[in-house]
Amino acid sequence: MVYLRSEEHLERWLRAAGHEPGATFSAVTLNELAQRWWGSRLDPDWRPRPVEESQTILDDVGLTGAFWRLA
Amino acid sequence: MDAFDLAVRRVVYARVVADARPPTAAEVAAELEHDDDEIARAFRRLHDSHALVLRDGSLEIRFANPFCFDSTPHRVTAAGRAWTGTCAWDALGIPAALHRDGHVDSECACCGEPIELEVTDEELTRGADLLVHFVVPARRWWDDIGFT
Repeated sequence: MVYLRSEEHLERWLRAAGHEPGATFSAVTLNELAQRWWGSRLDPDWRPRPVEESQTILDDVGLTGAFWRLA
Repeated sequence: MDAFDLAVRRVVYARVVADARPPTAAEVAAELEHDDDEIARAFRRLHDSHALVLRDGSLEIRFANPFCFDSTPHRVTAAGRAWTGTCAWDALGIPAALHRDGHVDSECACCGEPIELEVTDEELTRGADLLVHFVVPARRWWDDIGFT
């Protein structure tokens, strides 16, 4: 999970690293995901989150499709 | 995850936030007044359930996500302390977990040029033009969490 400056840098990095393209989105969306995903991590009553709830978070920030299926 | 393991996890995260470093199993044992062996077993169960990540063959905590105790390019300042994020996602996860504003100093994976992101009142107020790339599909994140 990396940051890139532009589409051009993304394509150059994928070629250099030999990675198949995965999923690309904006840092704004990543922050929305981070707020939802990690916001309860330090809660005193934290419990492991059911997969269905985690999937809902991904769906809610627009990360949908086969790549984002947790199970 | 039973109540004991949740209590161990709670102490681990409390120590991480207080000290900006992970506690040892012995430190958690002392705080909870339990045997070191009981805490060691709890650490391993928490690792197996992805609630912590231990170093290979060790009881040393490597990740208490989003907090990372390896060297990575993702340096985070939040709540008056310096932290390390495991990855791009976890770097933004640290201000989110702490419920504080935060600043991320990182780099472009392609060119290594420094980049900065800023989170204010939960919103990304700097770095909004940056892209993020995930190589590993969600169902395989835990196959090799260090790579993911």
